[in-house]
Order: sequence, then structure tokens, then C-alpha cells
Amino acid sequence: MCSRALNTRRLGPSRVFVTGVGVVSSIGLGRAAFFEALEAGASGISPVGSFDASPLGRLYAGEVKSFDARDHTTQGEQRRMGRCAAMALAAARMAVDDAEIDAGALAGPRTAVVVGTTMGEARILAELEYEWIVRGPQAITRALIPRYGSTLLPIHVARAVGAQGMVLALPAACAAGNYAISFAADLIRSGRADVVVTGAAEILQELQFSGFVRLAAMAPERCQPFDLNRQGLLLGEGAGMLILESEAHAARRGVRPQAEVREYGLSCDAYHITRPHPDAAGSIVAMRGAIERSGLTPADIDFVNAHGTGTKANDLAEAKVMRDVFGDRRVPISSMKSMLGHCMGAASALEAIGCIFTLETGLYPPTIGYDTPDPECDVDVVANKARRGKSDVVLNNSLAFGGYNAVTLFAKPGVLPPPLPRPRRPARPPAVGPSA
Amino acid sequence: MTPYVVTGLGVASAIGIGREAFFDAVHAGVRATELVEGQRPETFDPSAYMPLPANARVAEVRGFDAAKYLGDKGLRSLDRLTKLLVVAARLALHDARLKKDGAWASGPDGKASGPGPAETGMVVSNAYGSLEAITELDRVAVLEDARYINPSRFPLTVSNSAAGYVSIWEDLRALNVSVSDGNCGALDAVAAADAMLENGRAEALLVGGAEAMSEALFLAFHRLGAGGGAAQAPGAQGTVQACIGEGSALLVLEEPASAANRGAPALAEVIGYGTSFRAPERDAALVHPSPEAMQRAVEDALADAGVEARAVDLVVSGLSGLRGFDDAELKALGRVLGEDTAVVAPKMGLGETLGAGGAIGMATAIALLRLSPGPVAPPYLVRGGLRAAVRTVLVTSLGYYGNASALVMRAAAS
Repeated sequence: MCSRALNTRRLGPSRVFVTGVGVVSSIGLGRAAFFEALEAGASGISPVGSFDASPLGRLYAGEVKSFDARDHTTQGEQRRMGRCAAMALAAARMAVDDAEIDAGALAGPRTAVVVGTTMGEARILAELEYEWIVRGPQAITRALIPRYGSTLLPIHVARAVGAQGMVLALPAACAAGNYAISFAADLIRSGRADVVVTGAAEILQELQFSGFVRLAAMAPERCQPFDLNRQGLLLGEGAGMLILESEAHAARRGVRPQAEVREYGLSCDAYHITRPHPDAAGSIVAMRGAIERSGLTPADIDFVNAHGTGTKANDLAEAKVMRDVFGDRRVPISSMKSMLGHCMGAASALEAIGCIFTLETGLYPPTIGYDTPDPECDVDVVANKARRGKSDVVLNNSLAFGGYNAVTLFAKPGVLPPPLPRPRRPARPPAVGPSA
Repeated sequence: MTPYVVTGLGVASAIGIGREAFFDAVHAGVRATELVEGQRPETFDPSAYMPLPANARVAEVRGFDAAKYLGDKGLRSLDRLTKLLVVAARLALHDARLKKDGAWASGPDGKASGPGPAETGMVVSNAYGSLEAITELDRVAVLEDARYINPSRFPLTVSNSAAGYVSIWEDLRALNVSVSDGNCGALDAVAAADAMLENGRAEALLVGGAEAMSEALFLAFHRLGAGGGAAQAPGAQGTVQACIGEGSALLVLEEPASAANRGAPALAEVIGYGTSFRAPERDAALVHPSPEAMQRAVEDALADAGVEARAVDLVVSGLSGLRGFDDAELKALGRVLGEDTAVVAPKMGLGETLGAGGAIGMATAIALLRLSPGPVAPPYLVRGGLRAAVRTVLVTSLGYYGNASALVMRAAAS
């Protein structure tokens, strides 16, 4: 693997293509249903059915009610995994089918699996804890213990596709999807893998739900990003998985690339564990980083798929990023969380697939429930109806607990010149933040 | 991978806190895993509902007082995992001279003398997050009402919370990446750090892992019959269990030129990485050791480093006392390196620290790169012996699910 890796590196940077996508979401399973729902501005929000949320005073979430693990996994798989891994695996299988890649082409050490999440198998842990707290330690179901752990998400997928390269979980909270996809692209660019099955998964679970209610962050019924009368976020769940391939690998099997994963920008606010920095300094660094590293300028960006949680702190920070990066140019922006709720770790993976939707269809997915523009958020929101527009280069923006910021740039295959040589030393960014 | 120098090390472990204390304890082969008559776990007390099993030993960072390192302000909302990680980060940044007396290092002209907050970040491994915080909130939700859970503790339940707090405490803004791959995660963190450093996403990175002891973690291993023992030399009588441990270790990694520019001495070099996964032969199996994955990871790490198998002086293994896993790891090491190469198992002394395991392994490797050959066997030795001064060390970890990772380190060029 590694000697080949070194050889590959000498050839210069490789393009990384998305060749397949798979979706488990509250607005549809699989690419076709998901794309159709994005175009229609469908809502996946409904009363929570998996637990009794009523004592908490909040009832709604983007729960995936149409997902039955038995439709997507073998009996053996169902015995050894929880709902989160089942969603990840189901989406991974859809992505493999979408990429029309043979099982044989995925098997072996040149395929890696990188999956993001926030809490992984949170329901398994809750079940174990319930047994322990209510009935005592001897009541803990032994067989359940090894099925807990974020580590397992990529393990289950690797087993199913025969991958023998790196298996890694990236618990990067609500930016986990962008982290996973971006790191997966790095693995290919550096020659450590030819193909990476990547994305993220998250399930709705009672403790998280309660936590967001207690943080006073949850809206009663609608998630309305950028709207003056927003009332907060709604939670959601799902999985978005993608097949990433090196240009050479995709060319060898003659597959049509769906998008180029061009570059990404990362930063950390180092400010507050749950709130974005009000200056949005870190988020600005991340977005500028994604653009500059791609060899592009802000003028090249056609659309931004927003983080758009529907909390005031997020919306104001994101609007500030848009003004700072794009100046007077009002680049269209939209939040899929208005349809899906906030799928936490899975959010930016599903939104990445939303970016593929835009590149393929020329449509920006709408922000539904956008009734009254917020004068403090002077951004061009794609309101309520999908909008047609130039869609060669799009950004997927994400922020997360821990001050994590990650922005990934996707482009229509063939529109961008070859990637820049990889910088050996960072261009030191301008000093940002209060104490720099 | 690009070779990197280690310019600093921060450790909060069961055998010592701080680089020098840790090195001394490693050289002396201190074992925090040994059962001490009458000593009870400090982090939890299961005696209320079960008699403490005779073998219920855990390797805790006993007497850990974060305030000693961080001051006593702002600690109340933090859990043990976060405190362990922040202490290791602070120690590592100062050890690497990136910071001095809590401030970023500057030259005589007052200007930054090396990477500052915007160029420094971290990549950290953790396996199970804050079970302490999750259990605390679950207890309230189950026994009282979910409406009463403490919102200021809720963020701790998110897996990357500890890493996020480190960035706040130490002002690390370049990037913050959390990885999870069981006990292999901290070695994988080096691979992730490589991707970040080689692409200029940061100039200096804190790289390693952390895991905290908790009642839930202890019970999980105890229920599986997998906790309570400790790594032993193969063939030794007794346990097939691991002693569950805790701790944190962070290495500061930089490109050699970056370290040289600011005159930072190197403790060691990291020069190669390999990882592999193998599905089990039986479809029903979930937990399984794979000697094939371990062998491939070692071979790839050596190839990546450009090092011949016979040049490896010492292996810092992940042997923990789980017999099936230990046998598989030794089998793979034997296939690649032969049976005579010295293999040590720091988990004999520190217990199975899971997400921190590989990081404590790397810290142990750095300690052992100072050993000279002689009549005295290296600490935590399970097989073979030293033939020469320790110049090249292989650090290995075998995961519970068919995964394995390996890393090659060598003495810093003098």
C-alpha cells in the first residue's frame, strides 16, 4: 500500500470524484426519492414516535419513519448492529449501487471506510444504562455491550463491502459529515486509498432530545433558518454515504463522476463549547480556506449549502460569514435543516449530497418555512421553492459543538482546472479573534 | 507518511503525570495494575450494589488534581475525561516550548517565535466519550425526569467535547479533529495528523488520545469477563482479562524544518504508519482478533517508513491480557520480525486505556528510545531481548473488531 502511495504522490495531486451517493432520510430513502423531495421542498418533520417526548414540551423531529433495517441488512447484520450502523450500512449499499461498482472492485486494502457521527449507537448505550440503573449491573445484557461504540460504524460498512484499508470513525459532532468526506478525499489524494466509502450517520435518541430542549434550543414545530420569527432547531436523523474515487480509479472502470470533492477548510473557534463565535472568525477562516485551497476566489462560488440550524446564534454567525467572504455579492444560500431537522453528525453528509443534487440538477434546494426575512441576516435565502441557477461550484458549510468549523467545496466534474500543487507550508492566515 | 519530529510530550497517566515522571516510571517498570490490599477505586464505588470482585482492579490516575495544573477556576463544569486531556495538552505545549508560562512563545522582539494559535491544532483519539456525563444525565432522566437534566453538563455527552474544551483552554484554532477506532485510534490520529500537516493545514499538532475511568466502563468490561486482569508474559499463569485503565497522552508533531526554525529539540521521530482491517471468517462473530490485519499493518508501516524488519529494535505492543488478542498480536509480530525481537507491553503497567492506548504506547516508545542495551531487560518485557541500543521502535495496536494499526518511531537525529 505504502510504496504505491509514495509513487502516486510523485505524480502530483489527484482529483477526487464522488461516483455514488446513498441516503436514509426523513424525506426519502435513496438518491431518486431524496432528490425529488429536495426539489419539492418536502418536510420530513413529524411528531416523534420512538419515545414519548410530550413531558419535555416538544414533540417534533425529522424522524426517519420509513426505514426498516430488515429491508437493507441481513439477519446476521441485524443481530450485531444497532439502528445507527444499520442506517449507515443501508446508505452505503445504496451508494455502492449508485456508483455501479462491482463488489470485487471494492474488496481489498485499497478501499477505506471513514464515517462521521456525534453519538453513534446512542440507543444501545441508553438501553445498557437503563438496565443498569433500574435493574442493577447483573441485568446488563452482555451481548449488547460490544455493539456500542462509534468505532463500529465504519467496521460494519467495511465488513459489508470487503474493505481492508483504514476504518475510522470521526466523531466531529454536527460537522462530522464534512470532516469524514474531506478526510476521505485526503486519503485518496495522498495515495493511501483508491476508493473510500464515506459519510455520516446519526439517530434520534431521547437523551439528546432532552439535552437540546434543556439548552432551550429546540423549536416547537418548525425549523425556520434565517427567518425573523425563528424559534430554534429541530432534531433529525439519517445517514448520507458517498463513494469517493481517485480520478484514475474512476477512469479505469469508465464511470461517470457526479462531482469533484475539491478541497476543504477547517478551523476551531476556541471560544465556546456550544455557541459559535459571534465574530464568526473561525468560520470565515474555514470558508476562505476551502475556496483558496481550491485555487478559486469567492466570485467562483455559485451557492452555499448552509449549516442553517435555525438558532439565532447560528444564523447571525453564518450571515456574517457570507458578508465577510462574498462582500456585496449576494450568493444564494439555503438550509436543508428546514426540511430534515438537524441530523447532527449526519447533517453535513446529507447536505453534501444536497450539493451533488445542485451540481447535477442546477437547482438550489429551498429553505422551507421562510416567511419573514430577518433584517439582521441579510442573505439571499432560497425561499420555500427550489431555485434554478448557475451551479458549477458549491460550498457545504458546517459548524459544530466544540467550535469545530468545516467547509467542503464541490464542483461539477470538468469545470475546474487541475488541482493546485499541495502547499508544503501553510499560508499563515491573518490573525483572527480577540486574543490573536 | 511525511516524517515528523516529536517536539513535546504531555502525559497524565496512572504511573505518572508529566514527561519526566512518566519516563522515570516506565524505566522502573512501575505497575499501577497491581492489586494493592485494601485499595479501592477512586473514581467510583460499586460496593453499594455488588461486592467488589477480588480481581476488580483498575489502573486509575490516582490522586489526579487538575487544579494543580490548570488553576481552580472553570473546572467545575468539566468531567474527568476533559480534565485529563486539558492537562496533557498544557504539559505538551509547554514541553514543546510552544508556550511558556501559559502564553504563546515569543522572541526577544515580542513577535511569535513559532506556530501560534492559528497554526496549532489537535487530533485526538477517544473510544467511548464521557460515559461519566452520559451516566449522570441518564440517572437523572431515568430516576427523576428528563426535564431536570443539567444543561451545562449536556455538551459533555457529545463525543468530541473534551477535545473542544482543550481548544478553548489552550486557544488552538488551526483545526481540531477527533477520531475513534477503539484502542487503535491514537495511532490512527497520527495518520490523520499527517494528512493535516502535509497539506499545510497546521504547523504544529497535538496528537494522541485520552480515555477516562468510569463506573460504566468498568462494568462493561467486568460483565464481559474481560476486565480485572492485566497483561502478562505469554505462558504466565492466571488471567485472560485486561486491567482497564485511563489516562491521556499528547505528542506535539511538527515537520523537522518547523521545529528547527524555532530551535525546538526533537524527542523522537515518527516515520511510518500502517493500518488494516479483516472481516472475521464466521459471519456471526463481531469481536475477533485478526493476526492477518496486524501483520499487514506492521508490514505497511515498515514499508511506509522505509525500514527493514530486522532494523526494528523493539516493539511497544498493545498486549493487554486478553489472551486471544495477545496471541494474535504476538503471532503477527513473530511472522514479520521473528520471535527474538524484544516485545514490551506497557499495558502491564498502565492497563488497557483504549482510546489513549496507542498514545501511551508512543510515549512509552519515546521513553524507551533512551535505553541502552545491557544486562537489564527492558520494562514490561514479554518476549525477546534487546540486541542493540534502541534506535527504531514499532508501536502496535490490535483492535477488537478485526482492525489493527502500527507506527514506526525512531530516535531523533542528533
